[in-house]
Amino acid sequence: MKQRYFSTFQLILLALFSALVIVAKIALRTPLQMSGHSGIFWMAIIIVGARVVPKLGASSIIGVTSGLLASFLGLGDFGALNTFLSYAVVGLGSDLVLWILRGNTDNLVVAIIVGIFGHVGKFLVKWLFGIITGAPIGFVALGLLRAFLSYVIFGALGGLLGWLTLKALQRAGFFAYMAEKR
Amino acid sequence: MDQKKRILLAGAILIVILGVVLGVDFLQRQQAAAQAPTDMPPGSIPIYVDGGFVASFIPDDLSQLPTASFVDAEEGKTQDGWLLRDVLLLYLGEDNLQDGSQVTVSSSSREKSKTLTWAEVENKENMVMFDLSGRGTLKLVSTIPGFDIRDSWVQDVDKIEITSP
Repeated sequence: MKQRYFSTFQLILLALFSALVIVAKIALRTPLQMSGHSGIFWMAIIIVGARVVPKLGASSIIGVTSGLLASFLGLGDFGALNTFLSYAVVGLGSDLVLWILRGNTDNLVVAIIVGIFGHVGKFLVKWLFGIITGAPIGFVALGLLRAFLSYVIFGALGGLLGWLTLKALQRAGFFAYMAEKR
Repeated sequence: MDQKKRILLAGAILIVILGVVLGVDFLQRQQAAAQAPTDMPPGSIPIYVDGGFVASFIPDDLSQLPTASFVDAEEGKTQDGWLLRDVLLLYLGEDNLQDGSQVTVSSSSREKSKTLTWAEVENKENMVMFDLSGRGTLKLVSTIPGFDIRDSWVQDVDKIEITSP
């Protein structure tokens, strides 16, 4: 019998990470009034998910599943398609960078770069939708540059937070426990 | 290719993406400047009174106005910016505005608009104001019952119209 790429156990884990992305979006708040600040939380979850299920495509599954959940829950200001693509691209972008770097998120630099690219992917979706729908150009000159840098910074912080979480999980013996379960 | 080169490649891709975003934004501003009236800088919001163009405003103009803020009940986020009343008084003065004047703020890209009376806009407690969105466009927000939730707010504002009674 041909072995499946993701086991049922791994798919369940990925689904749980997807739900966690949504919970983080709804429940976790920061007092920062900057665009993309929620990326700290959801990029951290993607980074951890990509290590807990260390296979190419794991981040994409988290992104696509959380995108579906977010769309049905009516999150976001720009409609369901925008919401779905914003979440999905976070996962796809993360996987793309993991593939380019041929690394895993155990490495701090890789985790930060994955955080940045995943989050910038979300920025690009929102920016492209703005162009397609004919949104007015920014009232503030260079507002777009500020928003881009904000997404880069919060994506990097999300990568760092995810890496720290992985280290904590390793110290707690989580991965040894998971290896036994497999 | 070793890991160091891959990381450099990722950095280069990020810079290219930033270049494309800023390049397209620059072209859009050039295009907007070519199409707009000569006294209307790109990105500025035009104000029309009874169908006639009166003025447009830019961020530098708003820096002379006091800022206002409130925490929205729906998501607990701080909406921070400038009161619409202050913006209109700056450009139109009280002579052009009466209690029954209709103030319509609209967004062509969102196909949304909101019409309020000057009396509603003038009342500071209603917090009818512009919040600056993350990507630098203006969003009309308020605490008026029925117009105090995100769905009803007007994002990406690109026009203000005043209609006299």
